[in-house]
Amino acid sequence: MNSVGEACTELKREYDQCFNRWFAETFLRGERGADPCGQLFRRYQLCVQKAIKEKDIPIEGLEFMGPSKGKAESSS
Amino acid sequence: HPWETVTTAAMQKYPNPMNPSVVGVDVLDRHVDPSGKLHSHRLLSTEWGIPSIVKSLIGTCRTRTYVQEHSVVDPVKKTMELKSSNISFTNLVSVDERLVYKPHPHEPHKTVLTQEAIISVKGVSLSSYLEGLMANTISSNANKGREALEWVINKLNAEIEEFAASARGTMRNSMAAAAFVEK
Repeated sequence: MNSVGEACTELKREYDQCFNRWFAETFLRGERGADPCGQLFRRYQLCVQKAIKEKDIPIEGLEFMGPSKGKAESSS
Repeated sequence: HPWETVTTAAMQKYPNPMNPSVVGVDVLDRHVDPSGKLHSHRLLSTEWGIPSIVKSLIGTCRTRTYVQEHSVVDPVKKTMELKSSNISFTNLVSVDERLVYKPHPHEPHKTVLTQEAIISVKGVSLSSYLEGLMANTISSNANKGREALEWVINKLNAEIEEFAASARGTMRNSMAAAAFVEK
């Protein structure tokens, strides 16, 4: 599946792989641990935010928050 | 299918052959809230198969529609709620959908989905025919949604099978190699 920003598709794929594994193997089992995908997500996010601004997509009421709101920051 | 399977598939719903118009999915934000629920804000880009000559005249940005989706997954209560609404450049018609996935109350290996859609139109009175048409489309889409998840679940199971088969093959090879070396 592609990203809205063509340049972001590869970053998206890497993040998706990490997230899908964490979601099924850790999160759904009720285990709480540090999010292993934080760095991948941040890189991917920066790319997507830029693409959305460039394409002028009107997303209302959305603040671009980091992935670790509400959790302790994981050290990288 | 059990709730965990359905929820995992729902997070990886696209691409699938039942929704060919979805051409892009992006995560705008994702975080776990203090109560342990996972919130995701996603942007879906859709392209409605408009002939390319029309696209070249009016430009792709006018033929793309976008859907904003907010999902909340509670792994303790086992609920997944999705709310989506379309974003369009004209903002005349908006369709808001709400889906909730929960384990079946009497059959634990099954999942129940409840789905509702709210259609609103700004400043234009829709004839009842058009409203009926949209309602029909939305309810047949609901069926399509279920088929789409079935397809994703089968695909994920096939990937797991493939991985297990290749792992078995690798183990056999290394055992045979070790036995050969011993001799």
